[in-house]
Amino acid sequence: MHPGFFNHLLLISQFELKRGFATRRGILSLLTFAVVWCVILLYPLRFTADLLVQEKGIMQGSGFFDFIGLGSIQQWPIAEFGVFWHFALLIFPVLSITLAADQTCSDRERGTLRFIVLRSSRDSIFFGRFMGVMVIQALLISASALSTFALVLYRDAALFSSAIPDLLVVTVNLILAVLPFTAMMAALSAKVKSARQATVWAILIWTFLAGIISGFAYYLPALAFFKFLIPGYQLSGLAELSGWKTLQLAYIPLLQSLVLLALGRWIMAREAL
Amino acid sequence: MSSPIIYCQQLNHVYSGNVALSNVTFELDAGEPIGLVGPNGAGKTTLLSILTGFLHPTSGIVRLFGQLPGATQLIGKVSALPQDAKLDPSFTIIEQLVFYARLQGLTTQQASLEAGRVLEEVSLKEAAHEKPQVLSHGMAKRVAIAQAMIGKPALILLDEPTAGLDPVNVRTVRTIIAEQSTATTFIISSHDLAELDRLCQHILLLENGILKPEKISIHEQQAATRFITLQMEIAPAPEVIAKLQALEGVLQVTNPQKNEFIVEYDFDLQPQMDLQLMQCINTHHWQYRQLSHGKTLEEKLFFRG
Repeated sequence: MHPGFFNHLLLISQFELKRGFATRRGILSLLTFAVVWCVILLYPLRFTADLLVQEKGIMQGSGFFDFIGLGSIQQWPIAEFGVFWHFALLIFPVLSITLAADQTCSDRERGTLRFIVLRSSRDSIFFGRFMGVMVIQALLISASALSTFALVLYRDAALFSSAIPDLLVVTVNLILAVLPFTAMMAALSAKVKSARQATVWAILIWTFLAGIISGFAYYLPALAFFKFLIPGYQLSGLAELSGWKTLQLAYIPLLQSLVLLALGRWIMAREAL
Repeated sequence: MSSPIIYCQQLNHVYSGNVALSNVTFELDAGEPIGLVGPNGAGKTTLLSILTGFLHPTSGIVRLFGQLPGATQLIGKVSALPQDAKLDPSFTIIEQLVFYARLQGLTTQQASLEAGRVLEEVSLKEAAHEKPQVLSHGMAKRVAIAQAMIGKPALILLDEPTAGLDPVNVRTVRTIIAEQSTATTFIISSHDLAELDRLCQHILLLENGILKPEKISIHEQQAATRFITLQMEIAPAPEVIAKLQALEGVLQVTNPQKNEFIVEYDFDLQPQMDLQLMQCINTHHWQYRQLSHGKTLEEKLFFRG
């Protein structure tokens, strides 16, 4: 008796986790991420947070953060999470495009996918790989948010209970933010021949989509609705929000992900292996 | 009457304007290995890719055990050695085989045992913890054959299983197929006609995407007119033909290749033609290399008439 769809989803995503955390390539990527994140955490993030805390009165009066476009940082009760929020909204979607680029393409080119498809449905492979990559990203996001939490406690251990809601807010929001990017890469990966091609296409499609829709919307404002199709459309709006208010825009990445996953599934079902 | 394991009806496939398969219709029952032959570009790999669900046909009906190719009901029942497919270089061979066995529904412990068993079958147990990129071409092919045998499927489709292998590995593959063929039906696509001659009872011939209408049987036990293929050491062809032609029951002698003669004879008139030929060879002090009943597969397939 062969296992069902959900069992396959679990097995395939577990195998992706193994690829992410227990293969030489995966460990190298993790180490690189850890080093880069350490530098961000210890220098720009800590420096900006210290600046906000120590010079709060002076900076608020001068409107410095408003001037550099980071005014909403001051609305966060815990300065570190305010800074983390802005850095993470830039870093994780970009990381997602590279990390999630090779969901199925190189396996299809190599023929490995044929071995798997003899034992599993194309749907299980497509969604299983997507799930695996999402779990890896969720773990990276959680780890970076926890390291920021540790930085907060290092500054002032009394902030423990008040920092926990911020920790949850940024973690949940960032996972939601990378969701449509990962879904876009899943769809592209089902079509192209290599991870590099998927990344290039992602950048091209994203740029042209944003450019064309914005251009048309300028002349015909009704078309502005189509901006909802662009992954990351809500990010600039998100940066202006703080705390649980950030979840007000959660419907956008969720809907985008559903559309992109449906498109990816359609491509995966049709492609020759 | 049991239903066929493979049923294809009016199968067509077109690759960017080029016809790869045209109205292919056939049925196959479980049993002895079946060969699939044809020149390069005849559509063999396309047909096998459709049967395994790697490729969707442009039109037509395909069923394996009454199911659509790629259906979850076929997991563990149908397997394949896809041409040129490689394992993932990030994982060891055993990790991947265990993963495949787990996908087929085996528990972790069963999967480990099964992966060990199939590697043992192809004499590669010592390479279990290696990464695929350290394997030679022959070893990689044997590992790919091992993955096809996980869970003892009822039908295995092998696309060029012996291509690029040295004679020792060819023999290993042949032995594996022969040993497994009591429980498993093999469909073997190959250019190695001598190999198919040894392994298969029936042959499907594809030419330019068209399946030749009749299934070619290796044996001709029921026919009244039969053939013997005679391979001689250096021999004067005109004299050999003349002497053999004069024997009782011989209908025709042809010399398709150097030192190879095909004797067509009437079985009812001379049921012991092989003995008669041996006597003739002995009388004329010729040296022969091999005498075999029937035509070679190459003759049957490509030089009929």
